[in-house]
Amino acid sequence: MIEKPDTDGRRYRGWSSRLRPAWFSIWPIAWTGLNLVLRRKLFWLLLGITLINFLFLFATIYLKAQIRVENPAVMRFVDSVLESVSGTGETYRDFMAAQGTVTMLMLAFAGEVLVGNDYRCGGLTFYLSRRIGRRHYLLGKLLSIGLLVQLTTALPALVLYLEYGLLTDSAVYFRENTRILLGILGYGLVMAVPLSLVLFALAAWLQRTVPLVMGWACLFVLMPAIGAILRKVYDDRHWHLLSFWRDIRLLGSWCFGAIPDRDEPLIIGAVTVVAAVCAVAVLAAIPQVQAVKVVR
Amino acid sequence: MDPLFELIDVAYSYGRHPALRDVSLTVRCGAIGLVGQNGAGKSTLIHLLLGLIRPTAGSLKVFASERRGWPTGFRQRVGFMPERESLLPGLKGIEYVALAGQLCGMPRRDALRRAHETLSYLELEEARYRAVEQYSVGMRQRLKLAAALVHDPDLLLLDEPTSGLDPDGRAAMLDVLAVLAARPGKSLVLSTHLLGDVERICEEAIVLDAGRVVGVGPIREMRTVSAGTYRVRWRGDGNRLADRLLALGAEVRDSERSGEAQVVVPEGWQHRDFFKAAREGQVVLTGLKREEEDLEAVYQRLIGAGTISRGDNHD
Repeated sequence: MIEKPDTDGRRYRGWSSRLRPAWFSIWPIAWTGLNLVLRRKLFWLLLGITLINFLFLFATIYLKAQIRVENPAVMRFVDSVLESVSGTGETYRDFMAAQGTVTMLMLAFAGEVLVGNDYRCGGLTFYLSRRIGRRHYLLGKLLSIGLLVQLTTALPALVLYLEYGLLTDSAVYFRENTRILLGILGYGLVMAVPLSLVLFALAAWLQRTVPLVMGWACLFVLMPAIGAILRKVYDDRHWHLLSFWRDIRLLGSWCFGAIPDRDEPLIIGAVTVVAAVCAVAVLAAIPQVQAVKVVR
Repeated sequence: MDPLFELIDVAYSYGRHPALRDVSLTVRCGAIGLVGQNGAGKSTLIHLLLGLIRPTAGSLKVFASERRGWPTGFRQRVGFMPERESLLPGLKGIEYVALAGQLCGMPRRDALRRAHETLSYLELEEARYRAVEQYSVGMRQRLKLAAALVHDPDLLLLDEPTSGLDPDGRAAMLDVLAVLAARPGKSLVLSTHLLGDVERICEEAIVLDAGRVVGVGPIREMRTVSAGTYRVRWRGDGNRLADRLLALGAEVRDSERSGEAQVVVPEGWQHRDFFKAAREGQVVLTGLKREEEDLEAVYQRLIGAGTISRGDNHD
């Protein structure tokens, strides 16, 4: 049956189909968040910076592999010059830590786009008035932040790992270095989870970029500076635990099985600090995703 | 037929400030207007129906199912158009509406196709690839309506949908709402303080004042319940007629047109009393019509009296 036009030749059509469970909404929320971030030029600039580091390492691995095959005589010299690119856990740990520094900067600017705007422009109403609960919203947002972190840290590290293996004794390298693979994934998670929680909590409260960057700087610049001063004053390395970024890096080293001996006693403290910060971030985030926020 | 929603002694407070008090309602499917002044509790009632907030007292059923705990599944049958901004800056119109569909459980491809359809229906097809923050006020209102309609809900909750629109935009929005309201199986709750909008779209109204329901039922029945007002036309000396009517206990309100007045009669008044007054005042009645209240008058009366009138189908 042909429906009559409602107005001006247009007609409203009904729609009917089986709807998916609410859990399927997490991915669209995450993908939308990631899309919004990648539409800003600033993020491409920061991504470009992380890409430079990645390309440098990528080229170095390739160069070393070429030299090993074509001119083994100079290999010892090349190894001594490019000592850090050795295909061991430390190589990937240091690479991910360096990438993480730029990622941290990127997140400080992404907070407003990913989360802050939901509070300032009514996006929270848009989300929470649909068929999803606040846990779906929260998980979607955390996933989008986590994906951004993985995009600049774990993903390029995995590419380098594959490259190194393929350009050397592939089967032997991959077989003997499964710990590295677990290390990359583990360090990626150790960065993604706490950073997602902290960024969400800060952005939900502070919302705009300037206060958000200031809050972020307090956590990642001021606290480590205070820790360094106190470490000197009291001559106790435990004060380094005030550096949240250092704690994450320490956990990352643990994932690779490459903790420096002098930091070995700090690992329990680092776990405790990271867990405590995550707990505080969750507690701070929960009231901000109450549906009642929508109606206030 | 199951009621659309049912509230029993529902109350809600923002801290110490009560927004709704002892609201009991049973409303069936159709177009329902929710009217009241700012702060009367309209938005709070909408938010309760949507499940964004829980009543501090009483119970609430939507689509005949009482919501225990806080499930959100019933929202697949509900579309909500909020009064306030609810945009996601950076998204294009089509992405915004498609995301709304996906959040309601639609697969991505279906959501996108349906978003195109809905935007075309609401005459936003040319702006669909534009960023939402570049939309005008009228376009934003239509975009919010598109996001509410994308999954073809059975119940539309509209909070001030014509707010901020120019007369043409308002008329266009009301045209669309009238069409939607007339579709079988569809219901809408239109919350507004513009009584003309309700009169045009809705058959029934809920009148709220200071968090209480002061009137509920079909607008037609609300109008006739206390229609003790007549429009009287005459030829002759109007002052004498007015004196006689006053003497019989009626109230005469001046009209802008000469030879015409609005007369509010007391209880027990009969039509022949008009002719009696005319005969005694030596004037000729040329017109006598029972005057129906418009919704504005009904609203003013209900707000003033604080009484509840119920249509039969709400009992």
